Amino acid sequence: MGRHNTRRDFLRAMGLSAAVAPFLMNRPSLAFSNSSARKQRLVIVFTPNGVVPPTFWSDEEGSEFTLKESLTPLEPLKDRMLLLHGVNNSVRGDGDLHMRGMGCLLTGIELFPGNVQGGGDTPAGWASGLSIDQEIKNYLQSQEATRTRFGSLEFGVMVPERADTWTRLVYGGPNKPIAPIDDPYQMFAKLYGEMKDRENMTSILDDLEEDLAKVRNLVSAEDRGLLEQQETFVREFERSLQAEDQRAPDHAEPELPPDIERKNENMPELTRMQIELMVHSFLNDFSRVATFQITNSVGQARMTWMGIDEPHHSLSHEPDSNTEAMDKLTKINRWYCEQIAHLAQRLDETPEPGGEGTMLDNTTIVWTNELGKGSSHTHENTPFVMLGGGLDLEMGRSLKLGGVAHNRLLMSLAAGFGHELKTFGNPDYCGAGALTL
Amino acid sequence: MQSRLKHLFWATAVGLLVTGAPCLANEAGEQLYAQQCVRCHGQQGAGTEDYPSPLAGDLSVDQLAEQIRLTMPADNPESLTRDEAQNIARYVHDSFYSAIARARLEPPAIELARLTVNQYRQVTADLVGSFLWQASIGDERGLSAEYYGDRNPKGRDKAALTRTDATIDFQFGTEVPVPEIEDPFRYSMRWKGVVLPTETGWHEFIVRTEHACRLWVNDNETAVIDRWVKSGDDDEYRAKVYLLGGRAYPLKLEFSRGTQGVSDEKLHEKYKKVSEASIQLMWAPPMGAVQVIPTRCLAPFEAPPAYACTTHFPPDDRSYGWERGTAVSQSWFDATTAAAIETATYVCDRLNRLAGTNDKDEQRHEKLQQFCHKFAERAFRRPLNEELRQRYVDQHFEQLDDEEMATRRALLMTLTSPRFLFREASGGDEPQNTAARLALSLWDSLPDEELRSAAAEDRLSSDDALRDQASRMLADPRARRKLRQFLFTWLQVDSVVDLHKNSERYPQFDAHTVADLRTSLDLLLDEVVWSDDSDYRRLFLTDEVFLNQRLAQFYGLGGEPPADFAKARLDDGERAGVITHPYVMSKFAHSDVTSPIHRGVFLVRGVMGHALKPPPEAIAPLSPDLHPDLTTRERVTLQTQPPACMTCHHLINPLGFTLERFDAVGRLRDTEQDKPIDDRGEYQPQQGPAVSLSGARELAEFLADSDEVSQAFTEQMFRYLVQQSLEAYGPAVAKRLHESFVESKYSIRQLAVEVAVVSSRVGRDDDLASQSSK
Repeated sequence: MGRHNTRRDFLRAMGLSAAVAPFLMNRPSLAFSNSSARKQRLVIVFTPNGVVPPTFWSDEEGSEFTLKESLTPLEPLKDRMLLLHGVNNSVRGDGDLHMRGMGCLLTGIELFPGNVQGGGDTPAGWASGLSIDQEIKNYLQSQEATRTRFGSLEFGVMVPERADTWTRLVYGGPNKPIAPIDDPYQMFAKLYGEMKDRENMTSILDDLEEDLAKVRNLVSAEDRGLLEQQETFVREFERSLQAEDQRAPDHAEPELPPDIERKNENMPELTRMQIELMVHSFLNDFSRVATFQITNSVGQARMTWMGIDEPHHSLSHEPDSNTEAMDKLTKINRWYCEQIAHLAQRLDETPEPGGEGTMLDNTTIVWTNELGKGSSHTHENTPFVMLGGGLDLEMGRSLKLGGVAHNRLLMSLAAGFGHELKTFGNPDYCGAGALTL
Repeated sequence: MQSRLKHLFWATAVGLLVTGAPCLANEAGEQLYAQQCVRCHGQQGAGTEDYPSPLAGDLSVDQLAEQIRLTMPADNPESLTRDEAQNIARYVHDSFYSAIARARLEPPAIELARLTVNQYRQVTADLVGSFLWQASIGDERGLSAEYYGDRNPKGRDKAALTRTDATIDFQFGTEVPVPEIEDPFRYSMRWKGVVLPTETGWHEFIVRTEHACRLWVNDNETAVIDRWVKSGDDDEYRAKVYLLGGRAYPLKLEFSRGTQGVSDEKLHEKYKKVSEASIQLMWAPPMGAVQVIPTRCLAPFEAPPAYACTTHFPPDDRSYGWERGTAVSQSWFDATTAAAIETATYVCDRLNRLAGTNDKDEQRHEKLQQFCHKFAERAFRRPLNEELRQRYVDQHFEQLDDEEMATRRALLMTLTSPRFLFREASGGDEPQNTAARLALSLWDSLPDEELRSAAAEDRLSSDDALRDQASRMLADPRARRKLRQFLFTWLQVDSVVDLHKNSERYPQFDAHTVADLRTSLDLLLDEVVWSDDSDYRRLFLTDEVFLNQRLAQFYGLGGEPPADFAKARLDDGERAGVITHPYVMSKFAHSDVTSPIHRGVFLVRGVMGHALKPPPEAIAPLSPDLHPDLTTRERVTLQTQPPACMTCHHLINPLGFTLERFDAVGRLRDTEQDKPIDDRGEYQPQQGPAVSLSGARELAEFLADSDEVSQAFTEQMFRYLVQQSLEAYGPAVAKRLHESFVESKYSIRQLAVEVAVVSSRVGRDDDLASQSSK
């Protein structure tokens, strides 16, 4: 039988629908859901410490607007973006503003009282509800037509090795924070490891069969039956792997550069790697929901590759009068914006497999932040920028929503998937329901 | 298939000896065969000089009958009636003609076997563990404790106090936990050591505390419970960990009172809350109830994390009453593939540590390749020749640039190889096979370093050398586990035991009581086996029972109740070892009343080792409600009166009745329905006159003294340890083993050594019984 000696050959064996029994391991099917209907996707990207409002928000409202300095990387995608000014994270309760900014951002509900002491305010614990991406994931996984292998994937970049309210964005439920995977190699192993073993098994079965035949000849006639049965199992296993080979689609896995250490200076490289993994996970339909947490609330990224040596959070506390700091903060946010733009472009240059248009036509990216502005720690005008056609919104506009609770925006993300929620998070902030954008 | 039938025949044959029922109710066929056929075809169809070919084939009874009617006897065909031909055909077919009949007539042989599921888990644990340092667990119990006057535990030298804590079950309230600590609102602890499970399976660990905690079990890097962020009102955290009984696993628990996050005196003062503090470390082991992890299951020593394969396997064949690996199935094959991947993944995640290298090591490639050689050699339980080395390891390192991928392939191939999965697959009489058999018999696992060297240096050729090895190996916890499992199997309480009782009748007999009873039995068996004389007769004769406070109260032990499990003479000498142990008594009873039938069958089949036919039809026991005036003994007697029942029940009932003074939960009683209990019984031994047995003590004394029973014990231990039938080793071996058991004054440990010695010496190729028949 043929061996899979190259990645490309191996990939032909990947992304399979009816997996061979030993690989199933009680998990949902390895690959595609059964429906040929349109695949809608959602990506939520988090970057920390607020923005510089004057260089972030466009002055105009409506479809005629000019992008400010922080957002210029989105210029080529302007007609496919939605800039949402005037959305407030209104949740109160225990925890400092960073903690609540983070823990309530996607959950829309208070933090539990707890033992994590912030820079002020009462100590708090984890969020008391699940986050909107998980709500949507659960909805999609509950239906045969939209069920995928993972349901959702949680990506990160340079998330500190500690679990607390500042480092967790996604919640599977009350008190159930979900840690993002910020090591691209770990994410690669999660996505492709099981399939690698399929390749490995395929490569050894021939030799195993030969050795079985050898051993069989060493045992008595009475004992041979047992080994003959074993040989049958091996042969059938091999045949089923081959059959899967022929049915497999040809979706590449990303080529990751080797040995990129998880350290501050490698942030740009790590971010690109994670974006590639995300794009490929969508290509293989491993998941339709993803979050991408770049650093953490109070994140201290030092963007030395742009000549900024100060850590991000420390800079964000500088007053508006420090124009040098404001410039740097604008540059930092523009760098984040470049990453969003890159993700959008990668999706836009990739045709939708088995569907219409590009992958960006079926994906909505939501870029957000735990604070409206770093120095004031305000939750008013929490940044929300949307990109792409996943939720069928009218794009190419700058909207000024005048201070609506962000719960209503979270609800409209679910509504975009046909999941109509009456409330989400704390019902007190859900007003008239999902926003009509 | 054939071999299975062989054994069934032997089992049936023994059953017949006991019950005296006719075997194949076709005397007419047998007579006709003798009159019409035997002169040409010979006894048992073996053939004669005139007609030498034996009668054997695959025709059905009806086909054979038609053939006989039309062609036989050769000198006078068609002289037999249809009925006569049919009778002859049935006799011939069932006695020696059919494949099934032929299989029955063959003596049992040592069969090729795969590793049993339990062996697979033990072997993979030791295979991986052989590349790590070996823990040494002393006698001290409990966990080593470090108390700190700060919110986070630091290095041990910074501790305000270190000591050993027997259990983790503390109520600190609003006070400091120990006087060495000043601030009752800011302190922390770390407890470290090993956990010593007795059962194999998923153990649920539970930490109860109002404050921050984290728990590591069998993994020093990733906590199974991480609640260093205290959040909300939750004060109980659970995590399941798969552990193998009889092994030591590292455990660490940390506790913190105070806040995490920003450290600021002012904020600490401002927001500190007067609230209670407590911590409990509990578990629910398989077949156990939720309880504070007892002191005897904790030890203040270090051990490396150990691999425990969690892949679900289909259960092994137990059709003869003991687990054997003589069959394979699709689901077993699937499980071995999944388990190979699980094992390879575990190894690859810890590759540098296991292979003694690091990412920057210039010799990493060579070291990984050598690691794979050793891994395969240990997995196959014999040295690799050049061809196997190439096939299983070297070719992957030649074909792939990525040495980790090559390692993974070599591991996967090794773990799916017949040389790993099947026992002594390539046969031969090398000392390595002897070593492999010895290790599997006593440990269900691989030879250790000493045994490997002994085999390599050919130091295993004499019985004395083997005996020395076996005695050495018996001191290992793995042997302790195996003997424990054997005794639990002997008493038929090894797998899930449902002791659910009528809660109105026995309101206090709850899950905790049941779990305690299992522990009590465990402690008794352990005490007998590992006492100096290891005397098997004490299993029957001891009148002491291990009781803790709950059991002492339930079973009515007078005096001051014990704090923890301790031996006590219960019921004024009426108890008789394992036979009346409340766990065993409760198991062989219904939910509201006793079952003399279950108890009798347990004694006949289990303790005396005789086969019994299943009842001709499934019959529900008579309901006590239908006969409110009858005792259980009277009801059983009434129901089993018909002669068809009595062929077996004449044996079962009188034995079961001797235990009638122990009710459905194993409590001693004098009356039932206000009638005095009649616990007289009797037994007809294989030799000598019938004995009358009045009550449990007389029964126990008879059992302890009976050759029949000690022979059955010998045979069952052999089967359990070796996973082959004793008959396959020839009649002399059974006799010799029993004699040595008697000579050693019934030492259980000595018997295990002798079983291991005798079985490790003999492989499939020198299978005595089949040689004599060839």
